[in-house]
Amino acid sequence: MANLKKLYDAVLNGDAKTAVAVTQEAIAEKLDPAVLISDTMIPAMAEVGRLYECEEYFVPELLLAARAMKGSLTLLRPLLAASGTKPTGKVVIGTVKGDLHDIGKNLVASMLEGGGFEVTDLGADVSPDKFVSSVRELKPDLLCLSALLTVTAPSMRTTIEALKQAGLRESVKVMVGGAPVTPEFAREIGADGYSENASQAVVTARQFCHPDKAA
Amino acid sequence: MRLLLIGCGVLLRELSDAIVHSPHLIDVQFLPTGLHDSGLKKMREHIQEATDAAEGKGYNAIALGYALCGTGLADVQARSVPLVLPRAHDCITLLMGSREKYKQYFNANPGTYFRSIGWVERADELQDQVVGLGLEGGLEALIEKYGEDSGRYLYEELMSYEHSYSRLTFISTGLEVDDSFRQKAQVEATEKNWKFDEFAGSTTLFHRLLAGDWNDDFLVVPPHHRIVATYDDQIVGAVAIDEPRK
Ligand code: B12
Repeated sequence: MANLKKLYDAVLNGDAKTAVAVTQEAIAEKLDPAVLISDTMIPAMAEVGRLYECEEYFVPELLLAARAMKGSLTLLRPLLAASGTKPTGKVVIGTVKGDLHDIGKNLVASMLEGGGFEVTDLGADVSPDKFVSSVRELKPDLLCLSALLTVTAPSMRTTIEALKQAGLRESVKVMVGGAPVTPEFAREIGADGYSENASQAVVTARQFCHPDKAA
Repeated sequence: MRLLLIGCGVLLRELSDAIVHSPHLIDVQFLPTGLHDSGLKKMREHIQEATDAAEGKGYNAIALGYALCGTGLADVQARSVPLVLPRAHDCITLLMGSREKYKQYFNANPGTYFRSIGWVERADELQDQVVGLGLEGGLEALIEKYGEDSGRYLYEELMSYEHSYSRLTFISTGLEVDDSFRQKAQVEATEKNWKFDEFAGSTTLFHRLLAGDWNDDFLVVPPHHRIVATYDDQIVGAVAIDEPRK
């Protein structure tokens, strides 16, 4: 039988090969993919986030865990779609215009994926217009903006303004983050949420997304 | 005036030139260039520690040879001696000579990585200290620590920015003793397959900082005030320490 403890450990230790192998076994045994995610993957990524917060894990460990998690999710996702399982919430994320720093944004995106969210990553240097059109098309529950430069952080304000102008502000929650972003700044520009790091981002995102609402 | 300069190693030559040309008595302390990478909290702590150590030594002001540096200087407090710093996002702003020039160049040329004398000759110090990113020892060290497959994956992920940038701009300040700095930058651009550009920078902000010529391109932080990021064209501001946070 597929050893789920082994899958949990593989994600935790960033062992993509094992994660994929165990997932394949589990699929062959017709284990419920939704349960696999909720009982194994989400707790594993939560533990990864905890270890990062208490500085036992650093960026490399996080990147490797995310790769293992993604390897497994790639196999599970089609099954989830087929069975009509809803994600925890839908997220669009990107680094704002002019800013090419993307390591932190990538980690946030991975942790959200590992938390059961459906994540669309628009990449870096994303203009307010692009964010607006993506919100219009994809109808996410949550828009996540990242900035690592004080030069580009004001583009978060511009993006929120652009959402208002497009009449979309009420349709989506906005969460902001990145090293120069403070909770005060987040409030001032009218964001709904802020988190200091990738694992807190998952906790905050959960408050904004209610899967029951998605139906 | 008696000034203490606390400066970043990456600006050592530009600040030294400004010291030579200043009419004031200046004591100097350079902090490691690597603070740039060390995390904003650590940067703040180091700079606060250095400014605190200058208390009671008769300085009229402490000149910070820094910019806001992300928010690496936000929350640094002036105790009894005023702090003065240029209104600048980062050293790139300082080297270019004004926040207006920086804004203009930055907006017109997204995807640019910058080099200057200090950014060329101290490139290793900057790389060395990317704490927590794991890039310290390059590909070999990553493979040794995480194994062949994971090490290579990490290296690719962490270096992938090389594909998102498109330009390397060398900012000259006129202090280059020879052409080697510019040349090294140009070689790097070629290696990374980036367009090479040059920007005629200036030493004005450094000179004014140490000449005590603090017009509105500078922020003077009065005693018992702290530095804050303003996220607008002013870049930095000062608020009283006892003023509650918003
Ligand atoms: C690595 C790095 C780079 C790499 C980026 C590689 C990449 N792919 O991203 C490279 C070398 C390319 C780079 C380039 C530059 N950089 Co740089 N860089 C850094 C550095 C050292 C670390 C950033 C990082 O990745 N940290 C690790 C991640 C995991 O942390 P994080 O990004 O903060 O993300 C976490 C949280 O903030 C949060 N988070 C992030 N995003 C979001 C989003 C949401 C929604 C939420 C909820 C949370 C959240 O969760 C993340 C995980 O916990 C910082 C200094 C620092 N220590 O922060 C400088 C720093 C950001 N860079 C700086 C500078 C000056 C530059 C350059 C101008 C330098 C140059 N010579 O050209 C260029 C910028 C060019 C440009 N046009 O963008 C300055 C910024 C100054 C400013 N103007 O504000 C900094 C602050 C250094 C400093 N102290 O001066 N840089």
